[in-house]
Amino acid sequence: MTEMWVNMGPQHPFNHGLWNLRVKLDGEKVIDAEPVVGYLHRGWEKMVESRDYQQIIPMSDRLCYCSALTWSHVYVGAVEKLMEVEVPERAQWIRVITIEIQRLASHLMWLAAVGTDLGSYTIFLYAMRERELFLDLLTNLTGARMTYNYMRIGGVRNDFPENFERDTLRACDLLEKRIKGEYYQLMDMNSAFRLRTENNGYLSKEDAMNLGVTGPNMRGSNVDFDLRRDDPYEKYDEVDFEVCVEEAGDSFARYRVRMREMLVSIDIIRQGFQKIRAGPVRVKAPRTAPVGTAFYHVEDPRGESLMYVIGDGTNQPYRLKVRSPIFVTVSAAPKMCIGYKMADIPAIMGTVDMCVGETDR
Amino acid sequence: MAEDAKNKSTYQSRSELKPRAWIADGLRVTFKTLVRTTVHRPNTIQYPFEKLVKPDCYRGRPGIVLEKCIACSKCVRICPNRCIEMVPIESATLGKVKRPQVNVARCMMCGYCAEVCPTNAMIVTPEFELAAYSRSELMFDPFKLQFESKPGYEVCSPMILPSEIKAGKTEMHNKGDMAIKDTVALDAKKCISCSRCEKTCPVGAVKMTETGEINPKTNKPIKKPAFDNEKCVSCEQCVDVCPKSCLSMKEAM
Amino acid sequence: MMFDYSGLYQFLYSVSSWLLWEVGRILGFIGIDSGNILYPIRQFLVDPQFVYFVALLLTALIYLVAALLFGIQFIWMERKFLGRFMDRRGTSVGFLGFFQNFADAFKVLLKAVITPKDADKRVYQFAIFAILAVSFMLLGLVPWDINWYAVNVPLALLLGLAVFSLAPFALILAGWSSNNKYTLIGGIRGAAQLIAYEVPLLLVVVSVIVMTGTLNFNEMVAWQQGNIILFIPLFIGALTFFIAGVAESERVPFDLPEAEAELVEGWQTEYGSLGWGLVMCADYLRAFIICALFSILFLGGWTGPTFLPGSVWMLAKAALVFFFMIWVRAAMVRIRTDQLLKFCWNRLLPLAVINLAVAVLIKIYAVGGW
Repeated sequence: MTEMWVNMGPQHPFNHGLWNLRVKLDGEKVIDAEPVVGYLHRGWEKMVESRDYQQIIPMSDRLCYCSALTWSHVYVGAVEKLMEVEVPERAQWIRVITIEIQRLASHLMWLAAVGTDLGSYTIFLYAMRERELFLDLLTNLTGARMTYNYMRIGGVRNDFPENFERDTLRACDLLEKRIKGEYYQLMDMNSAFRLRTENNGYLSKEDAMNLGVTGPNMRGSNVDFDLRRDDPYEKYDEVDFEVCVEEAGDSFARYRVRMREMLVSIDIIRQGFQKIRAGPVRVKAPRTAPVGTAFYHVEDPRGESLMYVIGDGTNQPYRLKVRSPIFVTVSAAPKMCIGYKMADIPAIMGTVDMCVGETDR
Repeated sequence: MAEDAKNKSTYQSRSELKPRAWIADGLRVTFKTLVRTTVHRPNTIQYPFEKLVKPDCYRGRPGIVLEKCIACSKCVRICPNRCIEMVPIESATLGKVKRPQVNVARCMMCGYCAEVCPTNAMIVTPEFELAAYSRSELMFDPFKLQFESKPGYEVCSPMILPSEIKAGKTEMHNKGDMAIKDTVALDAKKCISCSRCEKTCPVGAVKMTETGEINPKTNKPIKKPAFDNEKCVSCEQCVDVCPKSCLSMKEAM
Repeated sequence: MMFDYSGLYQFLYSVSSWLLWEVGRILGFIGIDSGNILYPIRQFLVDPQFVYFVALLLTALIYLVAALLFGIQFIWMERKFLGRFMDRRGTSVGFLGFFQNFADAFKVLLKAVITPKDADKRVYQFAIFAILAVSFMLLGLVPWDINWYAVNVPLALLLGLAVFSLAPFALILAGWSSNNKYTLIGGIRGAAQLIAYEVPLLLVVVSVIVMTGTLNFNEMVAWQQGNIILFIPLFIGALTFFIAGVAESERVPFDLPEAEAELVEGWQTEYGSLGWGLVMCADYLRAFIICALFSILFLGGWTGPTFLPGSVWMLAKAALVFFFMIWVRAAMVRIRTDQLLKFCWNRLLPLAVINLAVAVLIKIYAVGGW
């Protein structure tokens, strides 16, 4: 068969969101690939320049509905740095706990997407079933299922509701049991799943670092780097947790990193509930920011997300720049896809955990 | 490259991660689920017939209690999508007043309007099934926006002042507390005594009071606005209407 | 008028002769005598050859309806069981969700027929008929009870597998004529897969033929009734046949030709409305036929305790095999093309050969005329 370009996207079952992966096929083999993003561009960075600092918080939730809390967290973190606001201790702990709950929900969403990519709706529905537990928790806490509008400049919107600790720990126990039991047997111990994910989408340590891949994708390539440990924000320096690193660099390594990270997140949530103390959860922040710049970066479920904000003395930012982890990671798609079969592409790009909302902004 | 990956893959050597029985584990898990869901009920919720239990704080469309509203238009000011607008209405009990109208099609259900409302007239409601056949149906005028209030529907984000934290206090203030209230400051030199701030104040917190001076041209006493901070809801309407911009907000920090 | 229920053909023959007699009576042909000019028409109506022809038409009609019903029933079964496997309910429209399929079928019927502009229109249309014909023809070969069959040829099994092997041809035609890269890849994958998995399938069937010494389904079942159901001695073969059958009917984990994650809908991508509905139904029909073949070859077909009719046993056994297909679908992910073919040549083929050797050994050495 002669070589041909195939457009996988922008409307295609394998890409979650609107983006296009152009692949050049020689038979079934991928010999070239080119990601095309920008179909979901909403002008977010320009749009927020005409909003107050407080009004931007719900909009930063919309960057990625799978992990809304982390995005509003990185935004309020940047603005707090700019305004030099001290966040109360309890608010910091609440942020740690809610962000880890969000990480669990986001990783479960990713697992569901991987299930459909690989053709198993069982994995999809099991993961969605567990994700519902954490969405319910966050609904109780914040009042919304996905775009929470919970972070505030100077703290969080409200304190934990009644029984929140009990419910969270129960949900975590259940998820831990399921990950170590059902998921382990259904996926890790399943020859078919291993056949699809092992030995494809190989990304070497050097490539991962040179291409700016961050987060679980980078740790899957044997780079021992986690912002929560290496540049601790909020209360992560008081939490004792393991950074999950896998050596192999293939799709299964990325899968394992995320599965282990879920267990680590459960661990962090438990520690957080032990260490949290009563106190104020929100400090009043000024409306206007001083002239100056600030940036803040956190470990998003998908990688390192960074916001750079320039204040000009008014109540609106002069410029707000978003560094999206997936926008950078997707540039590694050719490196990961070339040389493998076309049928591997869903497995490879599925384990990368695409999120187009934040990529195109 | 595929060969590289084969060499690098470390799972082959890990005995704990070696599939023991091809797909038998997966078969067992799914069969257990089959038995459980056949004996008991499956995990799904039959949506139109049964619905998720929503907490009181659930943020559906915004609702309003018309009697409580004082038309301070704080909700209009905070709305990130600019979907709230003050419209004149006429009713038997209220007379001719202005009340917010919400374009629910543009609303992003952030709940800010309820959070800033000084009288808790604006509330969050658990109503989320808002599909309609036309866009005009989604324009909720104040009467359509009404919703029966419950304490749980009112949103309050308690906060503390940075100065209080430094002083070692931990008590948080609800909205409307004097301690955290932003107040209006007057630059008396610029003031031309037009009394627009008095007319526009929704709560009657601004009073034009005599300063004791007398206008040399008209021989009438000069009046300047005085602000009653107890009544004030920091709505900033007076700041907006001031023709000489001599009013400004003083933030309590 | 008495109907003869001893077999499908006898039944339909008596039905059609009764039908023609009634038509003749109502039109007034029956009473006329030999001198009348219309007498040849009267003779024609009661002519056994013509009655036989009408019976054939009736059979075809019944098989068409039955095929669609079987397809719909299997879709329903898959929906419900897969739902429970996945911790959800599956469809619940109407009685136990049974009417969902009819709703879907009517929806598909009412859609506009769209042919892609650059498609090779004749081949594009023909491919549907080819796939349908192949599947429906197979249904005609499978007997449901000792006397309930459409045709009973001595070489039924051979004919059936020959018809089965026509499917890749139709798949390639469909994939090529749609003028779409996805359908092209899907069609070629489908052809490669079906051809590869035909080999172990045939080898297993050969082992059954060795054991029973016949190519006729009826005689195979009779042999199993007299001796032992072949599932027990030919366990390896049954397993191989099952796996190859799953691949032949293009179901998860071997649904590579229509792998929706990378190939949208594979070779069916460009088909819409009724064409797609029929192709979908034919898919399930092929799965159904594989299940029926499995129950005839290995589970003793319609033999069973006599409190139920034989055809009910046959259907129940086919449904049981299909249940296992659903189970495997729930527990597995899709396999990659090269792994699929490797699995076929490296694992299934040796298994099939071992199975054949087992069959031959049993045939030679077992006592009691086995």
